Amino acid sequence: MYSYEDAGGDKMGMEIPFDVANVPGPETGRIAPPEVIGSYISSAKKPLLVVGSELLWADFFLDIAIEIGKKGIPIAATGHSIKGFVEKEYTENVTYYNLHGLTNCLRDPNWKGLDGGGNYDFVIFYGILYYYASQMLSCIKNFATEPLMRAVSIDRYYHPNARMSFTNISPRMEAEYKDMLRKLVVSIKR
Amino acid sequence: MEEIKKGGIFTISELQNVRINIGEIIEEEEEWEPMGPHPMPRIATLRDWDFKLLNRYKPFYAPLCDMCCLCTYGKCDLTGNKKGACGIRMDAQQGRIVLLACLIGCSAHCAHGRHLLHDMIKKFGRDVPIDFGPEVNIEAPLTRLVCGIKPKTIGDYDKVLSYVEEQIVQLADALHTGQEGSHLDFESKALHMGMLDSLSKEAADIIQIACYHMPTSYEGGGPDVPMVDVGMGTIDTTKPVVLVIGHNVPPAADIGAYLVENGLDDKVELGGICCTSIDTTRVYSKAKLVSALGRQLRVLRAGIADVVVIDEQCIRADVLELCQHTQSPIIATNDKAMHGLVDRTDDDPDKIVNDLVSGRVPGVAILEPDQVGEVSVRTALEVDKKRKGLSFILSDDEFKRYVNDCIQCGSCTLACPNGLRIGEANKSAAAGNIKPLADLFDICVGCGRCEQVCKKHIPIVDVVTKAAYPEVKEEKGKMRVGRGPVWDSEIREVGAPLVLGTIPGIIAPIGCGNYPNGTKEVQLIVKEFAERNYIVTLTGCMAIDCALWKDEEGKTVYEQHHGRFDAGGVLNIGSCVSNAHIHGAAIKVAGIFAGRPLRGNYEEIADYIVSRVGACGVAWGAMSQKAASIATGFNRLGVPAVVGPHGVKYRRAFMSRPDRKEDWTLIDATDGSKVYVEPGPQDLLVACETVEEALPMMAKLCIRPSDTDRGRSIKLTHYIDLSLKYLNIYPPDWHLFVRAASDLPIAMRNELLKKLEDEQGWKIDWKMKKIVEGPIRAYNPSFNPTNLERLIRRKK
Repeated sequence: MYSYEDAGGDKMGMEIPFDVANVPGPETGRIAPPEVIGSYISSAKKPLLVVGSELLWADFFLDIAIEIGKKGIPIAATGHSIKGFVEKEYTENVTYYNLHGLTNCLRDPNWKGLDGGGNYDFVIFYGILYYYASQMLSCIKNFATEPLMRAVSIDRYYHPNARMSFTNISPRMEAEYKDMLRKLVVSIKR
Repeated sequence: MEEIKKGGIFTISELQNVRINIGEIIEEEEEWEPMGPHPMPRIATLRDWDFKLLNRYKPFYAPLCDMCCLCTYGKCDLTGNKKGACGIRMDAQQGRIVLLACLIGCSAHCAHGRHLLHDMIKKFGRDVPIDFGPEVNIEAPLTRLVCGIKPKTIGDYDKVLSYVEEQIVQLADALHTGQEGSHLDFESKALHMGMLDSLSKEAADIIQIACYHMPTSYEGGGPDVPMVDVGMGTIDTTKPVVLVIGHNVPPAADIGAYLVENGLDDKVELGGICCTSIDTTRVYSKAKLVSALGRQLRVLRAGIADVVVIDEQCIRADVLELCQHTQSPIIATNDKAMHGLVDRTDDDPDKIVNDLVSGRVPGVAILEPDQVGEVSVRTALEVDKKRKGLSFILSDDEFKRYVNDCIQCGSCTLACPNGLRIGEANKSAAAGNIKPLADLFDICVGCGRCEQVCKKHIPIVDVVTKAAYPEVKEEKGKMRVGRGPVWDSEIREVGAPLVLGTIPGIIAPIGCGNYPNGTKEVQLIVKEFAERNYIVTLTGCMAIDCALWKDEEGKTVYEQHHGRFDAGGVLNIGSCVSNAHIHGAAIKVAGIFAGRPLRGNYEEIADYIVSRVGACGVAWGAMSQKAASIATGFNRLGVPAVVGPHGVKYRRAFMSRPDRKEDWTLIDATDGSKVYVEPGPQDLLVACETVEEALPMMAKLCIRPSDTDRGRSIKLTHYIDLSLKYLNIYPPDWHLFVRAASDLPIAMRNELLKKLEDEQGWKIDWKMKKIVEGPIRAYNPSFNPTNLERLIRRKK
């Protein structure tokens, strides 16, 4: 329903990555609806929401991040997305971090985390430039394995390097994407 | 005698069966500096230095592909850091791929240098002096530093390039299955390759400067180099046009010489794309820079060239097909890029011109640069007549038809490296608003992948060009001609302010045009730092792209700022090979300002630079393997680099962990004591998602442990101010760089002291306005930082 219906995504029963040649290897992420991803996030012991500059495309997307933040999930604001949180005056559990530097920490099980209480077991990527996010998800998939860090994407792109991801969503389906995000927020139980 | 000079075999006729073999003749060398510890280092010579860097800046890997496909055991699935059939793990495999990228990049620069040397010796002889004028005594900092050689003539580069070539082969061997298995050793080898890359670039540029009398410190050089025209609107298409593409200037130089000798310099346009165009303007004053790499496809499609002359590197692989479409004959001038064309070197020029003009052949290869000028110009003069009236810009009707044909399927977006929403822009254009399409022109990286997947066969690149054409045809900027080496006298002036920090840093925009959001951001980077009194030294595509944009007064950044290597300067150093002079400037700071010996002394100088010279490269559109080896060469010398978001596809970064105290302990060379220091520079290679994030990051990466309090306060001012301006926050880590109240910007001192007290829990003596407790270390103006125990002067 949400895929680029004319782009060939479902012809072989496989989703195509948003950057069509970004096929990493044998292990690729599963496409899941918002309720399933929300439930998966709910199973995390210590999740982190990692957001990027595309969050600033519309207030709605920023508000979704804030709603997730208000559920007690801390936010790492990468790129220049922090600007939006400052303007919205929501900075309580939001920390600026360069995404490269953050992922460098996430891959280390001994990292103390943003709160000093230890590394995370689950990361949610949201609002990040596609190819940058894809590479950081690749690092997590390949090197944050002991203990396993689970990573999902709730962007409008299919991310094969995430364990779970939405499918590619056309700009024509903006309303549906927003609806998916709303459902996701509702389904996160903390 | 000539034979004996060069070495060789000869017999003495009176003596039977006696043959004397004379090898290399070594002339008595001028005593210029005692030889340092590491002349012509081999693979493992500087491994200890590399491991010091790699311990602090641990390699970070983000695989682009989870498999290895290099041998018949494979494909092997390495996901999750598994081992392949040969035993290699994912991390080592990534190091191996990085080494391969650096190998390709370094080979391009070294082979370019060798090609130049070969051609120049043939044309001018081995004894062309390396004389860059009265202001440049350290003519070849990298050659002195790495090889221990002070080159006097271009012939001296034979030995330098032979050294690089031998090392390249040894390093390539390490890539074979069943060789290296440690990711750290792969990275040490990549760093070695990066250093060789920088040496090769210096060799190539010095050879061409010496032979073609490119600007140096003689009259009209350095800060006084003239401006040249930049942009797609600078070419007068009513005249015959020769377009050169690539990196190797001799064929283009021959075209310029032919035009002048035959009085055609006002009748024929000579324009260029990429580094050949930069170097052509260093030898022929009427040459024009049509574009950087990112617009190659669009310039060729626009059909402005009557003849296209290609040499080497960064040429589109489909250049022949593109030129056939616009009926522009092509001349390949380098055996590394012959594109299937017949080699017509030494053939009768009349016959070649006739074949090209008649269209009997789409192009030819001419591998002697001195034969290219006549053939290309004569061909352009004739082809221009035949091509008059042809237009390759879409008509209004064609444009309308194509934008209406678009079904917004999204296939082009999935194929686009930047994920551009082309369908939406088409839809808007079909409804009468072409602005969204026109705006894509600058953001598009010009690859053409979109067209191949378009179900309606829309020539998307042409549609976008058409939308932007009213602006594109008027695009005319100004850029300084590449000036080559930074002068020793300039280093004498700025050495102290740079090391003390009162000039906050050198920002070096380098490399290709794979930008995330167009060329405008290049201008923003240059403008922002030049206005803050950093020294901005540009090379390659970024040097061209920043000249496309003007301020309200109609001036480019080159026209707004002086060209001296001094605070607020905007310097075009030259083409990609010229960026060796940026290494050179940092090396000269150590040699001239600090009096450190350079000869064969790489480790000590890199140690000096990483702790004291606030320089930061930025490759905002890094794309090629050359960019990988360039950045890695900067890194080994202790210079950090920021890359744009596409740079994460290089798979590897070098980032530190400021929270790991054990990684940030330096030695005070004065007494050997260990000092825990602030993280400066925090990273050696890091990507930023947006330019807003990159600007404060670059300012941060100019911070060094040696900064004086005044220098640190200036650097902190810019770091904090850029962060407030573009991120709307105080940087979360600014306090790490504060050693004393005097490090704080004066205008903000009270406010910042309060923040330190409230947010970090530091103890402040408000009467004295002093920090009592909190910083990582106290400010010590006599701190003499080093990573090398051998440099300790007197142990405690």
